[in-house]
Amino acid sequence: MQPQLVLYIASVVGAVALFLLMPKPGKDLRILGGLLGAATLGALWLVLVPLFLLGEGGMINTGFTDGQTPFYYVFSSISICAAVRVITHTRPVYAALWFVMVVISSAGLMLTLSAEFMAFAMLIIYGGAILVTYMFVIMLATPPRGFDEKDDGPTYDRFASEPMWASAAGFLLLAVLLSVVFQPMQPNGAAKADSDQVVIRDIFTERSNAGENAALATPSGNPGEPLLDADGQPVLNDAGEVVMAEELTNVERVGLDLFQSHPLAIELAGVILLLALIGAVLIAKTQIYNDDDDEGTAAPLPDGPPSTGATASL
Amino acid sequence: MTLLLALSSPMLSHYLLTGAVLFTLGLIGFVSRRNLIVMFLCTEMMFQGVVVTLVAFSAFHGNFTGQSFVIFVLTIAAAEAALALGLVVLLFRRKQTLDSAAWSSMSG
Repeated sequence: MQPQLVLYIASVVGAVALFLLMPKPGKDLRILGGLLGAATLGALWLVLVPLFLLGEGGMINTGFTDGQTPFYYVFSSISICAAVRVITHTRPVYAALWFVMVVISSAGLMLTLSAEFMAFAMLIIYGGAILVTYMFVIMLATPPRGFDEKDDGPTYDRFASEPMWASAAGFLLLAVLLSVVFQPMQPNGAAKADSDQVVIRDIFTERSNAGENAALATPSGNPGEPLLDADGQPVLNDAGEVVMAEELTNVERVGLDLFQSHPLAIELAGVILLLALIGAVLIAKTQIYNDDDDEGTAAPLPDGPPSTGATASL
Repeated sequence: MTLLLALSSPMLSHYLLTGAVLFTLGLIGFVSRRNLIVMFLCTEMMFQGVVVTLVAFSAFHGNFTGQSFVIFVLTIAAAEAALALGLVVLLFRRKQTLDSAAWSSMSG
């Protein structure tokens, strides 16, 4: 069977599953939706077993180290299931908490890609800073809700708008994306080792130890093995010892790329953050008019008495 | 069995699939949810999908520009969260509801 066909079937089933899982009036078919969603996930994993991706019976160089297979599947499953819960949960607080789960499992995926810096930056900035802001705003801006279990929140949380068309359009997009993704391609596994040597030659020899590493001018070799010069002979340093090929850590590579290639962009990012800070302060200081207030007077802000029950409960 | 495991070890397509699914789910959520805060949460999920894709490409090609770009994605996400959530609080104080349909009159 063609992988494309499996993908299209999985997309259709996934759209139906998400439609059933969406909060909406009528009969509760969420269990059926969950089962269909699990089937979708299974079909996607089936496509991933690259029997489909093999060319003429040859092995594929995956470009990644082995031994991380279970972690990919675990983290990917968790992040997809949590993402479904984010968009189907009727309570915003729980949606935000499920999004934290998405962030954590995405960070796990990045660890399997040996992008440690990104993984922890993701955890700290997304899971730590941004989601805490979301939680604060959710608690500030959610209407008070009774203690009755039947009270499941306001209608705009309980019922999605147009879940059918949203699911159909979204999974149409997914089908297109995945059919592009699953074209067999030629991986380029040795790229990092080579480009590491280029960076070491071009940048590290310009540092204070330039004289010491001058012999690195024509480097090649895998990390941990002796560095070979253009003639294939091991490179010796001034003390006559064999120079080993070095490997840069993830943080070093990201930092070099960031501050060497994009210094202006970093400055601009700082300007954007500053403008966002000023804008947020200005927005927070704005005097607003409550539409419920017939006289159109300014709603009492921090010091004034609260005008409605919703603000009183804050 | 060993062959099967070796064949199914993660490669670029795996991570692209996860990224695409996360992006799509975020998009569906943004279109269909009616709570303003959850809508912005869904845009953050679309960012997550893009970030997974960028890091996967970066790791695959040994080119770290992808991971540098994630820094800028994080920057924009933080700025967006600050401004959008400020606006959401403002809108909530105005109408005492987070329903996006309450502001449908703005569409003319």
